[in-house]
Amino acid sequence: MPEPSGRTLLYAISATGSDEEGDGTLERPFQSLERATSAVLALHRDEATGQLRTLTGTHGFDLVCVGTPANRRSVSKERRFSYYVDPELVGADGDGSERAPWADLEGALTAIVGIHREQGSNGLTPGERIHLRVHGLFAGGAIERRKQLVERVASAVLAVVTALIVLPLVAILAYLVAKAWPVLSADFLFQNPQTYMTSGGIWAPLVGTFYFVFISLAIAAPIGVLAGVYLNEYASENWLTRLVNLAVLNLAGVPSIVHALFGVGAFVLFAGLGRSVLAASCTLAVMTLPVIITSTREALAAVPFAFREACWNMGASRWQTIRTIVLPNAISGILTGVILQVSRAAGETAPILFTGAVFYVAVPDQGLASFFPYALNDRAMALSYHLFAISTQVTGVSEGLQYGTAVVLIGLVVSVNLISIIFRVYLRSRKKW
Amino acid sequence: MRHPITHRLALLSEPLVEWTIRICGWSAIFFVFAIFFFVFREGAPVLFRDLDLKEFFTSLNWRPDSRIQAQYGVLALLAGTASVTALAMALSVPAGLGAAIFVSEFCGRPTRETLKIVIELLAAIPSVVWGFVGYMVLNPILIWATGAPIGINILNGGIILALMSVPIIMSVGEDALKAVPDTYREAAIALGANRWQVVYKVLLPAAKNGLLAAALLGIGRAVGETMAVLMATGHSVQIPQSLLDPVRTLTATIAAELGETVEGGAHYRVLFVIGSLLMLISLVVNLSADLIVKGIRGKQNA
Repeated sequence: MPEPSGRTLLYAISATGSDEEGDGTLERPFQSLERATSAVLALHRDEATGQLRTLTGTHGFDLVCVGTPANRRSVSKERRFSYYVDPELVGADGDGSERAPWADLEGALTAIVGIHREQGSNGLTPGERIHLRVHGLFAGGAIERRKQLVERVASAVLAVVTALIVLPLVAILAYLVAKAWPVLSADFLFQNPQTYMTSGGIWAPLVGTFYFVFISLAIAAPIGVLAGVYLNEYASENWLTRLVNLAVLNLAGVPSIVHALFGVGAFVLFAGLGRSVLAASCTLAVMTLPVIITSTREALAAVPFAFREACWNMGASRWQTIRTIVLPNAISGILTGVILQVSRAAGETAPILFTGAVFYVAVPDQGLASFFPYALNDRAMALSYHLFAISTQVTGVSEGLQYGTAVVLIGLVVSVNLISIIFRVYLRSRKKW
Repeated sequence: MRHPITHRLALLSEPLVEWTIRICGWSAIFFVFAIFFFVFREGAPVLFRDLDLKEFFTSLNWRPDSRIQAQYGVLALLAGTASVTALAMALSVPAGLGAAIFVSEFCGRPTRETLKIVIELLAAIPSVVWGFVGYMVLNPILIWATGAPIGINILNGGIILALMSVPIIMSVGEDALKAVPDTYREAAIALGANRWQVVYKVLLPAAKNGLLAAALLGIGRAVGETMAVLMATGHSVQIPQSLLDPVRTLTATIAAELGETVEGGAHYRVLFVIGSLLMLISLVVNLSADLIVKGIRGKQNA
């Protein structure tokens, strides 16, 4: 009986020609190619009609040459000869090539025997096979198969490209965490940097980062949310709105170092804030404003217009509608934007470099004072600048300290982002409209 | 009929609230102009007095600290920015657009959602951390792999910048593909096209403007990036001869030198002129990306 291999039927032929007549399995191969082909014909001939049965679900036959019983199990994949038959083909009989297949199975098998008898014995060495491919009714031709091959290749290439983006990320994160693992501890977080920043922990920069983040948030959130409200609720379709949209877009694209220069020119010098927490936070606020504006606008746009109309019909004014209906329904989306602002502000270095971050400052690390070590007009340490400083500016810092700082910074930013993502998914799942 | 006092207050405050909202809405315009104004204001005195613009753009000599004759030629810095950006784009545009096509057309929903979260996290990693990775991790790897004496060079900066700009290219590219109407896909499928043929023959031509905009925004991101290139590209002011040469970019120069300058001095002001130049570049890049995208929107609505 034929041994199925995929959707190709496999018949074995003995290379040596043993005495015993087989049935085409690997253990008991057919004696010769002629025997094999006539067996195939017999197996597939419908006894009632004398016609060959339609080979539904069959892609073809493999006539494989097997050697001595000892190595019969190791059938190679190699196809020495490939022939094609197309039972649906009407008209001219071909030569068995892919372009011009034979028109019926009987003729095909006879032709194969003819070809290989001319070559003496089977023309095969053990392991090699003759493949006869049967085209079904809807099987693709050469062009179709090429098309599918191209698709498979393209799909694989794109998947590899995507993996090439994702894998370095995973590898880098894993490497950083592995390097930082020995130093990560509560002490590392809660101690201040000591002995010229070559030992101790990261408490002072960590608190400084929280300062920068929350003060910039306090400035950017109200302005950003109200600007989003303006763009979605008040602005009409005119040149001014277009200009505002363009400005938001450009504000998001301004290089961070230019924001730093702006902070120096506007807040440090012009506004007279000096290099201080406040000046740096203002700079960060301007920089992160587009994040809040864009997400607020999107959140408001997602509130169905019917909600507003219903409220207006009850006699509410525009602002009353926004305050009582629109904002409460959009608050989740707005919070997502605010969380993203936090993540962005926490990671930025360049904008605070010249506006309020300090290389090193001694601050208390005991008691309540350690939680509020900086005044608004002081300069403060920041985690991002600290990482830059201990990895490029200070000599003699242990690797663990550097990697530990990097991992804490990544952990901070990524966990804030994850909160925002989880929040978004959760809210989408229980959306009421 | 007398309204309760709170109601009257609410009615009175309504215009006040509306105007606050308007002003906040317009603040974005104000901030863009303010950035231009304040950066330019600090740079202007030297721009109109001492700085020879021809020398500024064509000289290779960046010697701001020279006691005899300070020279401010940014050609080498421009070459540094251009080379790192070009390498980053050569890596990240094919990768980012390829990933965008994969995510939007080839993978299933669970894979898509996971990949989008991963890419979002990739975008969230701070630039100083990327710089750290270039400086501490990629540097020894490149020395080992290429045999170069130092591993902080164009190649390092280009790889880091490519990883940094992939997320924006990918997300804008995906938006562009998503903006192609589904009827286009259905028409192509009805004609017997498979997924790759739909992408290659229908989506890419239809979304080419959006994809171009994605590449442009990636360029904008790469040109403006500061901390990562400061740490990962080395510090030689020179026209690079090979991928393994260290270079200095415009942004890194400002970040590295502003802290050491005298406030109001020529060097300080020249750095602000470079800042204005960067601002101009980012403005041009962002505006053209916006115009390109708006261009397709207009055509599709018509």
